[in-house]
Order: sequence, then C-alpha cells, then structure tokens
Amino acid sequence: MRPLLRSSLLVLAMPSLAAAAEGGGKVDLLSPNGGVMFWTLLIFILLLVVLSRFAFKPLIAAVEARENALEAALASAKRDREEAAKLLAEQLANLEAARAEAQRFIAEGRATSEKLKLSMLEETKAAQQELLDRARRDIDGEKSRAIAELRREAVDLALAGAGKLIERNLDDAGNRKLVEDFLASIPATGAKK
Amino acid sequence: MSASRTLLLVASLLVAGVSVPMAAQDAHAPVEAVPGEPAPHTDIITPHITDSYFLEVPSLFPPFAKEVCIGRLVSEHECEALWKPVRIAGVVIDLSPTKHVVMMLFAAVLVSVVLIVAAQAHKRHTHAVGHPKGFAAGIEAMVLYMRNEVILPNVGHHGNGFVPFLLTMFFFILTANLLGLVPFGATATGNIAVTATLAIITFLVVEVAGMRAQGMGYLSTIFYWNTELPLYMRIPMFLIMSPVEMIGKLTKPFALAIRLFANMTAGHIVVLALIGLIFTFAGPISTAPFLMAVAIMMLELFVAFLQAFIFTLLASVFIGQIREAHH
Repeated sequence: MRPLLRSSLLVLAMPSLAAAAEGGGKVDLLSPNGGVMFWTLLIFILLLVVLSRFAFKPLIAAVEARENALEAALASAKRDREEAAKLLAEQLANLEAARAEAQRFIAEGRATSEKLKLSMLEETKAAQQELLDRARRDIDGEKSRAIAELRREAVDLALAGAGKLIERNLDDAGNRKLVEDFLASIPATGAKK
Repeated sequence: MSASRTLLLVASLLVAGVSVPMAAQDAHAPVEAVPGEPAPHTDIITPHITDSYFLEVPSLFPPFAKEVCIGRLVSEHECEALWKPVRIAGVVIDLSPTKHVVMMLFAAVLVSVVLIVAAQAHKRHTHAVGHPKGFAAGIEAMVLYMRNEVILPNVGHHGNGFVPFLLTMFFFILTANLLGLVPFGATATGNIAVTATLAIITFLVVEVAGMRAQGMGYLSTIFYWNTELPLYMRIPMFLIMSPVEMIGKLTKPFALAIRLFANMTAGHIVVLALIGLIFTFAGPISTAPFLMAVAIMMLELFVAFLQAFIFTLLASVFIGQIREAHH
C-alpha cells in the first residue's frame, strides 16, 4: 500500500516536485537558448555542406548512373526487339516471295514442257509423215521404173521372140502386127501418174 | 559473432537501465532520508530532458556513469557557462557549449561518418559488382525512398536541388532522436532551441524557394490581392486576409518546431516516469512498469524515425506548395 501511495503521489506531484528539485527554479522548456540556436545553425549548415558534398552527391550520382544504364539497356533491348521483329517480317515476306516465285517457275516449266511435248509430237508426226511420203514416193518411183524396165524387158523379150519369129517368116508382116497389138492391149500400170 | 553482439547489447541495456536513474540521484545529491518521514523525492526527469553544462559519460565504477562539466566547475555539483555571454546586435547570447550542443555535434559527426563510409562503399560496390551490398545498400534504400517517394513527388518538378537539404534534415534529426535513446545520450531534438532553429532554416528555404519559383508572384503568397473581386471588396479582403496569410506562413515552421520538440520530450518523460515507478514500487509489482517502459521505449524507437520522416515530409510539402502556389 505504501509504495503504491508513494508512487501515485509522485506521479501527481511531478511538476511541482520537479520544480522543487531544481532548488525552487521553474522548469522552463519553452524558451529557446540563443547560444544553442547559434550552434544548431552552425552544425546544421556544416553538416549540410559535408553531407551533400561527400555523401549524397556520390550516392545519388551512382544511383542515377545506374538508373540511366538500366534505362539505356531497356531502350536498347526494345530497339533490338523491334529490329528483330522487323527483320523477321522481312524474312517472312522474302520467303513468301521466294515460294511464289518457285511456284511460278514450276508452273512455267510445266507449261513449257507441255508445249514442248506437243510441238515435239507434232514434229515427230510430221517427220514420220514426211518419211512415209518419201517412202511412198520412192516406192512409186521404183515401181514405175520397174514397170518401165519390165516393159522394156518385155519389149526386148517380145523383140527377141519376134526376132525368132521373123527369122522364120521374115516377111510375115501379119505376125508382127499381131505382137504389136498384143503389147498395146496390156494396160500401162506404170504410167498411172 | 551475432550472439556475442546481442549479449553485449543486452548487457549495455542492463547497465544503462540501472545507471541512468542512479547517476541522476547521485548527481543531484538527494536529501538524506530522515527516519519516520516519507523518503525524499529526487527528480530524475527534469535533468534528463533539459539542457545543462554537465555531460554524462560511461564510467568503470558504480554507478557506471559520471558527470563531466563542460563549463566552469564551480563546486562539486555546480557547473557554470564556459564563456561570458556575448552581445551581438543588441541580443545577449550565451555561446557556451552545453550537453545538447555536444550531442548535436556528436550526431553530426556520427551521421557524416556513417553516410560518407556508406557512400564510399556504395561507389566501390557499384564499380565492382554493379550494385551496392550490405550496409551501403540499406543506406541507399533509405536515401532512395526519401528521395523518390517523399521529396521529389512533393517538391515538384526540378526538385533535385532540394534533395540534399531535405536528406540532411532527415538524417540529422533521425540521428539526434536516436542518440536520445541510447545510454548516456541526450535528446538534442527535445530542446526547443534546436527544433526552432531547424524550423527557421526550413522556413527560410521554403520562402527562398517560393521567391525563386514565382518571382514577383511570390508577393501574392503574403498579400491577398484578388483581382477577380471588385475594387470595393478587394481592399477590405486585402486588409483581412493578408494578416491571415502571414500568420499561416509562420504557423507552419512553428508547428514543425513544436511537433518535434513535444514528441521527443513527451516520450522521454513517459519512459523516465515508468523507470521511476520501477524503483518506487521496488518489488514484484515493478514488473508492470518495467514491461511498460520496454514497450514505450520501442514506441520511442519508432517515433524517432517517424518524427524525422514527418519533419522532412512536411518540409517537402511546404516547398512544393509555395513553388506552385496560385499566381
């Protein structure tokens, strides 16, 4: 009980006790001391000069340098990305163009080959025809020449036969005329052309 | 390594918790206890929160703290100003160093060493690995947070010139606040002279920022001259509103000074009152004030950061306001 009473008294009487302890002098907290103000001013200004020169300047400079470096890195990364995207688009366009060209080449080649095939076929056919024609012409020529030859041979044979006949009846003009008539009666197949 | 450091911390805290009140009792020569009467009361709070010419330093012998006079020692427990007050422009100023001046100087040296070492390490690491490591990274995080989230958004465009001033303000106030929480320390920011000076510096910076940003338009932040009003209204409004504008200008630094001072002083009074209760109860019930003192001490640790942050934030806001005030 006693300590409790004592302490409550102490708390209640704090200001007056404080005054009493100072030998009756008032505790004056609110009147500023000019000397302390002067020292505060001096110390603060010195501190301001020292800190801004040797602490904050290098610190903030380093931080700003880092910030700038980061920003530059970000900007360059962005630039690189944009460049890459542009290159990619370009590449894709090139690829597309190349593919289209290849397609065109293939189509062109196909058309050309088709045309070539057709023309070659045509040519072959023509050549074949020509060969055929020539063979036919040759055959015809040979035939007419053979017929002519045959006819000359026949004439010679007939003449030889006739000569034999004539040897027997030289004046038998009636016989000769008979042979001549016979020969004329053979149709001239070789002279068809 | 970590365990031994923790042990050291606990030990120093224990020593501090015991030594501070004891030292205070020793220094202020309590009246001898008279049997039969209530024990005499010793004020441990006032010496702690007020300025003096005594400096408390650690000692090897019980009570592990002793007082060093940084003025002229008159008698064993009396210490006078080191120098005679000087008269500057009709104002008498006592320029003698006091406990709070020494603490401020200590805070300034401490914060300079810490920040410059961190900046050097930061530069070295940035060269070596491209990014800071360890303590330098922590300092960089704090500086960058204050700069990017607090100062630059509030100050407005082209606010880089204000960054060193506001950062210095932040780290100086923070260190001074924290020095009040360590054993043998004193809270320089619990002195109205210190906070008032910081507020006046802020006030000057704010006004100069306004002048530079607005030129002649700065006058409109002092004198209320609304050209949209007809003349017969404009003059009375000018007469009424101009004092309001001026008072508004002065209120801001006043609030800054009082806020910081009151927060620091109040917190220490509460902690000391609770510590006093531990010794007043002097029994098992002392556990309660002890736990409360620990809790308030942790709150004070938070408040030390918070008040430094608020001072800087409000200074940034004031600078930003005046720089883009209506033309």
